[in-house]
Amino acid sequence: MFSNSEERARPARLDRDRGLVDAARHDPACFDALYRKYLAQVYSYAFYELRDHHAAEDATERVFMQALTGLPRFEERADSFADVRGAQKAADEIPADASTFRIWLFRIARNVVSNERRRDRRRPVASLEHATGLAAADDTFETAAAREAGSAAWQAVARLPEDRRRAVVLRFVDEMSTAEIAEVMGRSEGAIRVLLHRALRSVAADLRARLS
Amino acid sequence: MLGGSSRDARRTERYLDGLMDAEERGAAEAPMDLDLDPAVLYAARELRAGLVRVHPSFRFEEGLAARLAQAARATQGTSSEQPAQVFGSSIAPFRSPHAAAPAGPAARSGRTTARDALATLGAPRRLSLTSRPSRPLVVGGVGVASAAISIGAVYVAWRWSRASQTPMVRAARAARFGRAYAPGHGRRAAVLHGILGVMS
Repeated sequence: MFSNSEERARPARLDRDRGLVDAARHDPACFDALYRKYLAQVYSYAFYELRDHHAAEDATERVFMQALTGLPRFEERADSFADVRGAQKAADEIPADASTFRIWLFRIARNVVSNERRRDRRRPVASLEHATGLAAADDTFETAAAREAGSAAWQAVARLPEDRRRAVVLRFVDEMSTAEIAEVMGRSEGAIRVLLHRALRSVAADLRARLS
Repeated sequence: MLGGSSRDARRTERYLDGLMDAEERGAAEAPMDLDLDPAVLYAARELRAGLVRVHPSFRFEEGLAARLAQAARATQGTSSEQPAQVFGSSIAPFRSPHAAAPAGPAARSGRTTARDALATLGAPRRLSLTSRPSRPLVVGGVGVASAAISIGAVYVAWRWSRASQTPMVRAARAARFGRAYAPGHGRRAAVLHGILGVMS
């Protein structure tokens, strides 16, 4: 059992993006490094959530603009992983590659995507390609996206409830740990663990039904 | 004591961690708990292979990078209330009547956000021709040195033009004139000539 002074003296893990974040705070032009590092992750998250690359691009742009604007307000929290569960976690259990900046960025992304989905429900908009059923001839992304969307795995995930799908995407596409997903989704780590376990069982049942 | 569901969920988590670590290391197989549900194992492998990270188009990436750079420049460059940094020195800003306008939270905290900067760009300030900004006064080593040189020059001119009243000073001055205008004579002769001139 640690005394209060021992707990305070315990070295805190630092954000792996601390250098880039400090540089961007000092000189906003340096935000480009963070943008390039997390572009694909944020875009993938938005794309799997919104299932439309135009909407994903819009969401991605909003996420990074909000991040740039809000960077002065970003606060690194070394013990943020403990906050979710309301209990102090040993420093050794915290993922070595944890980044509170990434969690903060994905919280922005989660809000942006939620707003986008809410807006789409109020005012459904279909892209021209979807309306006509034709993809642009030079749009290789559309071809790749169609191939991905047509995959059995993705279709099984798409049928999952929203929170399970979100957890699966963050785990498999963005390669987040359970603790990071818990932070992004604002849930306990145990809840995320169970959510992922049930999501995998549902996907397995879906894939087997499809095969049979 | 963990319930059955929690225990299975922990097994699943350990397998997923191992699966991703194995891919990072380039290992063929991930360590697996024998009690792991085969359905979970199957689904995890399928999702790992099927859910790929997608990248936006190069055109979008570069376009957004340019827009972010523009917003970053706006964040940096449009704050007229803060001293501009030029080659490591600072320039005192001209104070304008607008400087007393109510400051936003960012200005109060000493930082300028992109939103403030964009708001500044969107609503340009009107300059009043009747208002005269108070100029900063340059006080430094150059001004002091210039004043000292001027005072010294005035003093020398005054001393040069003022006729001396004492005989000794008149003798010394005559001796110097004598040396200047009679280069063929020695210094001693010039001094004697001067003294004699004074005495005569």
